[in-house]
Amino acid sequence: MNKQYVLKKIIYSLITIFAVLVFNYFLFRIMPGNPLQILMRNPNASAEAIEKTREMFGLDKPSYIQFFIYIKSLFQGDLGTSFLYKGQPVAQVIGNRILPTLLMIGAAEILAIIVGIFIGVISAWKRGTKIDIVSLSFSLISYAMPTFWIGIVFVTIFSVNLRIFPTSGMMTPGLSYADVIEKSSDVIKHMALPVLTMSLLLIGQYALVMRSTLVDVLTEDYITTAYAKGFKDDYVIKKHAVPNAMLPMITIIAINLGLVIAGAIQIETIFSWPGIGRLMYDAIKSRDYPLLQGIFLLITISVIVANLLADLTYGYLDPRVKSRS
Amino acid sequence: MKKKIIIFVLISAMLISGTANITLAADETNSLRIGVTQEIDSLSPFLSWSITGDETFMLIYDPLVRVDENMAPVPSLAESWSKSSDNLTWTFVLDENAKWHDGKNVTAEDVKYTYEYIISSGLGMYAGGLEGISSIEAADEKTVVIKTNEPKANMLLSNAPILPKHILETLTMEDLETWSNDSPVGSGPFKFEELNLGGFLKLVKNEDYFKGSPGLDEIIFVLYANDDVMTQALKIGEIDAVVNFSASQLEELKGVPEIEAISAVAQGFTELSFNCSEDSSSKGNKLLLDKNIRQAVEWAIDKQNILDVVYYGQGKTGTSLVPLGDYYHYEPKDELRSFNIEKANELLEKAGYKDTDNDGIREDEKGNKLSFVFTLRSETPEEIKAGQMIAANVEKAGIELKIETVDDGVLIDKIYSQDFDMFIWGWGTALDPTVILNVMSTREIGNLSDCNYSNEEYDRLLLEQQTIMDDSQRRETVYQMQKILYDDAPYIILFYDNNLQAVRTDKFEGWKRVPEDGSYFYNLTYTNYVNVKPKAQTEGTVPEGTQNQGESGSSNTALIVGAVVLLVAGAAVLMMRKKKNTEEDDD
Repeated sequence: MNKQYVLKKIIYSLITIFAVLVFNYFLFRIMPGNPLQILMRNPNASAEAIEKTREMFGLDKPSYIQFFIYIKSLFQGDLGTSFLYKGQPVAQVIGNRILPTLLMIGAAEILAIIVGIFIGVISAWKRGTKIDIVSLSFSLISYAMPTFWIGIVFVTIFSVNLRIFPTSGMMTPGLSYADVIEKSSDVIKHMALPVLTMSLLLIGQYALVMRSTLVDVLTEDYITTAYAKGFKDDYVIKKHAVPNAMLPMITIIAINLGLVIAGAIQIETIFSWPGIGRLMYDAIKSRDYPLLQGIFLLITISVIVANLLADLTYGYLDPRVKSRS
Repeated sequence: MKKKIIIFVLISAMLISGTANITLAADETNSLRIGVTQEIDSLSPFLSWSITGDETFMLIYDPLVRVDENMAPVPSLAESWSKSSDNLTWTFVLDENAKWHDGKNVTAEDVKYTYEYIISSGLGMYAGGLEGISSIEAADEKTVVIKTNEPKANMLLSNAPILPKHILETLTMEDLETWSNDSPVGSGPFKFEELNLGGFLKLVKNEDYFKGSPGLDEIIFVLYANDDVMTQALKIGEIDAVVNFSASQLEELKGVPEIEAISAVAQGFTELSFNCSEDSSSKGNKLLLDKNIRQAVEWAIDKQNILDVVYYGQGKTGTSLVPLGDYYHYEPKDELRSFNIEKANELLEKAGYKDTDNDGIREDEKGNKLSFVFTLRSETPEEIKAGQMIAANVEKAGIELKIETVDDGVLIDKIYSQDFDMFIWGWGTALDPTVILNVMSTREIGNLSDCNYSNEEYDRLLLEQQTIMDDSQRRETVYQMQKILYDDAPYIILFYDNNLQAVRTDKFEGWKRVPEDGSYFYNLTYTNYVNVKPKAQTEGTVPEGTQNQGESGSSNTALIVGAVVLLVAGAAVLMMRKKKNTEEDDD
């Protein structure tokens, strides 16, 4: 892989990030409604209070000046102050939510990738058999399952009836922990249900894609050649077929990993998980521009970085991509 | 290879079983865990605009005067007060024993500083209540003298929290705008302990509280993003109380013997608002400027039926602006418009609106149809359902309502550009009737007013009632204002809302509804927070909740271990197969 290729990709990514930044800024501002709307339904808010808050949020200045202020402070590493969580810097508000998001969705993704690929491979390998039918129906059902419903069902079974896992949250509220082990086991218990729900929804997607590409690959001539050489079934699958079927998987995984940071609003809502998805929803509802911009910037960067990584991995996995560039 | 797998299984089993056991270790401190659906927006009383903020500040801080269970002013930081004969000078004497959480004494300077900061910064939800104060002086260590230019009838109704001077004086007016007050120091019955945004807010008791230490060691407000899950958590004892759940859950909770679920009168109402703007730039349908049509709509609405169907009967049908149960509430007598479709038709007929083209919709003389756009908020499924039923109701009176559903932000924009005909929304009201009465005043058009109503007589009475020191005299004026509004019908007050709350009675005792039919929390008093105590346990018996948890703890462990063993065994089989393959391959 030559340096020029990598450099070019990185520069393109930076340009994309800046374009999205500008786009988002104006997108949020042409949305109807404004951040003062919460005050406007509070009967205690006098005209002076609303005017005062408008100044406080910097909304009294013309839009283009606000934009330059935003860009300037962004380059100084300042994302601004949240309107929703008044007085709190945006970086801090988002910072509090990053770890829970990465933890829950990251775990769900990893679990789903492993199990999904496994099911996909088995399915393609044994295509047409009962195993294939069972795993295919499982994948289709889990892919099509409504998130909210399955979440509530899990709460009812595992929290209310069996009482194995807590209903929601990330930690037992207000508990003081003796040590790190105690704290992490509390978090793990709270994590179990959201991770299970989330990964169940992803497994189907991964399994289906894996199965269909692998079925394609298995009809290729080089597979026949491999069999002709006398290799065993599972060896051919593992060494000859799966690596060639991984390319589309890498794309899906990269896109999904990029979105890990965006959280999963529905899962976070059912299980009251303090993730970025819910934060984003709250920010949109209250038209918290600085917070929205901060979250979107973070998502943009992570999606673009994930894509960049996918591009580079492609070059590594498939020499044809590298030579073409 | 096999050995490795076995060791791996054993280790994971040990780890997991350890996990399952520790969390339910008996806790000596009694903490009341309250499930809530709204998070505090700021710990700074200068920045918060939420009812959650108000409730929290009430526990961490003290105002000068609180209200008791009958909503009458009682001493808080001020142990006594008096006013001059001209009603322009108030003297408050502070409690000798009041102390800040950091040990310093509460002095008159603290009050002066706080009030001056609130008034001159104009920030936050407490600024409105202090309007009209012209000067604050600390006469001595414990005496505060407050002067007003005109008599101030709501002086004792301000619940503005008093903050310590020694913290405020480190801040400039400008600092206040970004002051997040991360570790509040107050003088109230509870101390701030921890705020975990998106998670919970934890307060611990102030043992040295000058009015006596509260009965609870801790109060934890636990945030739930989903109220169905919240009520389930109450049922299994994960939390001890819930605030604001949906009416569909009420019957289910009422069926649980350890839970007391209530539907209590709240300070607020849901209204149907008409665009009454006479401004030429208004894009509202001008037919709605005729109060006959507005009144006819009210005649045609079957409020009780909507309340029963949509809100499971929780709440009361509405009439005038100040909610039922409030001292200032006016109940219409002869002029009452209760569901009567004939009256609606009769009124419209008399006013000259007839259906000349027989399409079921009435027209005025010029042929303009009584057809209006009815805007509903996508945030509240209940209001959408209610809106649909209203549209069906008024159709029988020959009025067509075209429903559009938008989000709050869009509706706000429509209201401020006066680009709407009618919509449904609600207001929360306060102890001081001025707060809600003000919304309908002319000066609030373009600000709080969402119906653009204007009436000179009403505006005059609004200013007048603020200066009447005698409660019953003041009430007469407030009655008169509500009569004017009821007759002009810029709003149709659809319902007085209810607060749905539930508490567990097996772990805590001393619950009291405030006022009589009121709620446990969010009732303007801290009664339940300071008076509720853990239930005394008779020796030898284990409370039911704990027992259940213990049982589930062990079955719990077995289940998890089983699952892990299965998983690992599966993985092992797989690995061994692979291993075999590669071996063959190497041959």
